[in-house]
Amino acid sequence: MAFKVVELVLGLLLAVPVCGLWPIPRALQTGTTPLILSKDFKITAIRNPPSDLTGAISRTLGHISDDKLQRLVVGRASADEAAVQHAKQLPSLTLSLAEGAEVKSISEEAIKPLGTRSEEYVLHVPSDGSPATLSANSTLGLLRGLTTFEQLWYDLDGAATYTLEAPISITDAPAYPYRGFMLDTARNFFSVSDIERTLDAMSWAKMNQFHWHVVDSQSFPLQISGFTEVAAKGAYSSSMTFSPSDVQTIVTYAAERGIDVLAEIDTPGHTAIIYESHPEHVACFVSSPWTTFANEPPSGQLRFASPATTNFTTGLIAAAAKMFPSSMFSTGGDELNIPCYDADAETQQILNSTGQTLEQALSTFTQSTHGALATLGKTPVVWEEMVLEHNVTLANDTVVMVWISSANAAAVAEKNFRIVHGPSDYFYLDCGAGEWLGGDPLANSWCDPFKTWQKSYTFDPLANITESQQHLVMGGQQLLWTEQSGPENLDAIAWPRAASSAEVFWTGATLPDGTPRNVSSALPRLHDFRFRMVQRGIRAIPLQPLWCALRPGLCDLDS
Amino acid sequence: MFPRAKLLVFTALLAALAPADALWPQPRSIETGGTPLRLSGGFAITVAGSAPSDLHAAVQDAKSFISNDKLGRLVVGRGAVDVAAYSKAKTLSKLTLSLEKGATAHSITSEAQKAPEARDEAYTLTVPGDGSGATITANSTLGLYRGLTTFTQLFFYNEGTTYLLNAPVHIEDAPAYPYRGFMLDTARNYFPVSDIKRTLDAMSWVKINQFHWHVVDSQSFPLEVPGYPELSQKGAYSASSVYSPGDVADIISYAGARGIDVMLEIDTPGHTSVISKSHPEHVACPEATPWATYANEPPAGQLRLASEATTNFTAGLLAAAAKLSPSTLFSTGGDELNTNCYAADEETQASLNATGKTLEQALNTFTQVTHKALLDEGKTPVVWEEMVLVHNVTLNPETLVLVWISSDDVKAVAEAGFKLIHAASDYFYLDCGGGGWVGDFPDGNSWCDPFKTWQKSYSFDPVANLTDAEAKLVIGGQHLLWVEQSGPENLDPAVWPRAASSAELFWSGPGGNLSTALPRLHEVAYRMRQRGVQAISLQPEWCALRPGACDLTA
Repeated sequence: MAFKVVELVLGLLLAVPVCGLWPIPRALQTGTTPLILSKDFKITAIRNPPSDLTGAISRTLGHISDDKLQRLVVGRASADEAAVQHAKQLPSLTLSLAEGAEVKSISEEAIKPLGTRSEEYVLHVPSDGSPATLSANSTLGLLRGLTTFEQLWYDLDGAATYTLEAPISITDAPAYPYRGFMLDTARNFFSVSDIERTLDAMSWAKMNQFHWHVVDSQSFPLQISGFTEVAAKGAYSSSMTFSPSDVQTIVTYAAERGIDVLAEIDTPGHTAIIYESHPEHVACFVSSPWTTFANEPPSGQLRFASPATTNFTTGLIAAAAKMFPSSMFSTGGDELNIPCYDADAETQQILNSTGQTLEQALSTFTQSTHGALATLGKTPVVWEEMVLEHNVTLANDTVVMVWISSANAAAVAEKNFRIVHGPSDYFYLDCGAGEWLGGDPLANSWCDPFKTWQKSYTFDPLANITESQQHLVMGGQQLLWTEQSGPENLDAIAWPRAASSAEVFWTGATLPDGTPRNVSSALPRLHDFRFRMVQRGIRAIPLQPLWCALRPGLCDLDS
Repeated sequence: MFPRAKLLVFTALLAALAPADALWPQPRSIETGGTPLRLSGGFAITVAGSAPSDLHAAVQDAKSFISNDKLGRLVVGRGAVDVAAYSKAKTLSKLTLSLEKGATAHSITSEAQKAPEARDEAYTLTVPGDGSGATITANSTLGLYRGLTTFTQLFFYNEGTTYLLNAPVHIEDAPAYPYRGFMLDTARNYFPVSDIKRTLDAMSWVKINQFHWHVVDSQSFPLEVPGYPELSQKGAYSASSVYSPGDVADIISYAGARGIDVMLEIDTPGHTSVISKSHPEHVACPEATPWATYANEPPAGQLRLASEATTNFTAGLLAAAAKLSPSTLFSTGGDELNTNCYAADEETQASLNATGKTLEQALNTFTQVTHKALLDEGKTPVVWEEMVLVHNVTLNPETLVLVWISSDDVKAVAEAGFKLIHAASDYFYLDCGGGGWVGDFPDGNSWCDPFKTWQKSYSFDPVANLTDAEAKLVIGGQHLLWVEQSGPENLDPAVWPRAASSAELFWSGPGGNLSTALPRLHEVAYRMRQRGVQAISLQPEWCALRPGACDLTA
């Protein structure tokens, strides 16, 4: 009886990767030699490092000393005491850029256009106590390598910081250039510190795109110079705004962590609150019943058929786009409600006088706002309806976000637009938490059920995409709409779940050993990642009882 | 412009709908006027006569909430819209608490720890409209405490002024049901004492009076039981993930001072796998695989209920654990007993063969011995519904039964004649809808999907399908948090303000109106956040400021 138990434990040890990297690198070789970090372990930067690389190095040193993650096995640190006792010491990690590489800041590298960011790196940790090396073609690649390096280490209850798997050899690069997270700061407000904390967590999973759905029908927290009245009248309160300097703070904080900020001013729908400052530009504001005029209250959409409104919106979008260094800017375009315009006398009058259909007017409007972005050198980003439901002429390089259903990605690809996956059936973090509308006790969330990390993890970015269309797939993201979220549950809803897509789009379809990525081998690593997040100040939730986290595989469905 | 005019009318209508009083739970009887009152700078709360120390502490807490809540009224424009109304208002400078003539001043704690039906939580609260002193009277310090809790919810804040708009206020209040609980599982994942205390704080603000502490389970045994230290030494997640007797006493006294009784549960004979770490002799099928054959969740493992030694061990353990809490209630669990486990356990089969008993007969013996140990300690046993509906066990008639599997099972428990506590998964399980947590199961949802919204819980009828006589067996109910996917990180967001829904249901009685409840529940969430509990937003703030505007039919 006792013998059988021992056998079982040994079997598990062999079957389970000790390595807790997230996302798991594309190519990874590990050994079985224990190695501990020297007490005076140091990281040597490149010559004349940009200040954000120096900052990244000091964060890595901080994580290495403060993570204090005991390995997630029964017995925790005590299980490894013997193995580590006589281990060699790693004195240092040396960073280098490839010969001829131009030294730019991480921030500059991070905001380059999609597909031109250099995130690849090579990391070697020898087992003989000689220095580890990290090399890359850019400081951004070095940042990604540092992020990997700091996940290698476990805490021996304060006595040592160690790995059991030297030598370690990693050659890594993302499978997809866009690995994002979307936050809605309009349904409920989030402070700059909440966003910074989110950016921290994103960077630990090598996510590189913060999609900031900053305004919507409920509130307009973004202060835009030249249009200050919109936030003055449309924010929940004067303290619930993002000033230009707040935006600068966020954009800088993100870029230093390898993250580009894609801002969205959703138009022409999702704009009711603009009525508070510009009633002349908004049709069907709080019309009743709201269900006729919008997908959620309050109703209200820009009068896009109006030249004055088109000019206003174009100016607004241009002014907003100037606040963000990203090469992309989203003009939204989801959930346009037609009855709203049917009922709007002013819109009907304009259409009558110009002889345009609503769709033609929408195309004119879109070309105006997108033209302003093009002038600023920005690539427009839109929600899928702009391609699939409306008859709008879009620039060829427009990036399209698929949200309604994963089944719609193929149709977008057929139209030859670049795609970011954000389908509600895999990546919506708010699904499954119940109806938030009042007076509706039996209703559930519109996109039930809850999307578990496992469900997201099984998403196939290339499903129904032909080989010739594959280059259109830029990547994807998990999204948090905040009708029922605020600072109180931001972390708990987003983490560690949102890291699931980070691995889908970094690692791609296969593990370093060539086998398909799978939820069974991912779970122990995701537990590991979650424990690190908690230690670093993110309120990431437990995915299972601790009993399960310490016993990989024992809480699987069929175990 | 016509649309604008229409909007103004609409807004005015909403303002009229918005209740000026935002109490939760809604008192049984309340009369309010339309006179604003400002709280004077030197506002004082005094207790007439001698007062126990926990009442003094409660008064200090109430004063601190009143000055720190700083809740701007949830209307468009917030408190600024009330300036004209309150700026010339009279001031309220005093609240006096007094017991009714003849009542004796016992501690809140001792009043709270009485048997549920013996707790006296009634109070009368009066705030005159002329600025003269407010009063709370009650038959017990526990009633005074409930009145204080109501009093702190009367006030709003704007730019340095704390005020109310609806004096005179006269409230006569008492709970509809004596048991209004919240259950927390601290075994699947561990919660430090501070998390439990914060939860007790939040419970007290909505007049919840029972903390059902599902302290141990198959995954871990964090409770240090005097005489049985090996259980937590070998069964806790770590030496720091343990509740020492000192911790338990701390939690019980913290709860008591807030009008809350602590009902401990040692779930038996199932849900006990981890006991095998210290007492392998007492546990059948420990960590047997496939777990799905032997348990409802991993790890498998149940007490060998047919063994006399195990029965005696369990009775001793329960008696020792029961001594940790002064509550009259103690739960021995009894849910999800797995018979495959015993069928495969040679030792159990040998015991049954030797005694000639069936497993059900052995369970009956086991239960009677363990319950006798509790009865000897003066405790009323509490069990999950299977002990009545699935098994053939003789229970003391005073036993309380927790209905959890389905609200459909209430009727059968009542027909069996037992007093019952509503805890139905289809209304009150806070973990439902959070996705499957079992590994290697990408399409798995929670077993009790969908998510139970506050609205769903609020619409529960405690006496559905019951005769008048059966209805008398209902002593109350509770929300429950099982923590397979919870820890300190999401305790507050998973629980609050949702668990306040049943608090009102069982205090104010059923049949409450969802539309008028929602603005008040928003206020609960805002106050909770201000008091340090991470209660979530139920809606966009746009909706919270416009009662009714985000209803389905608005």
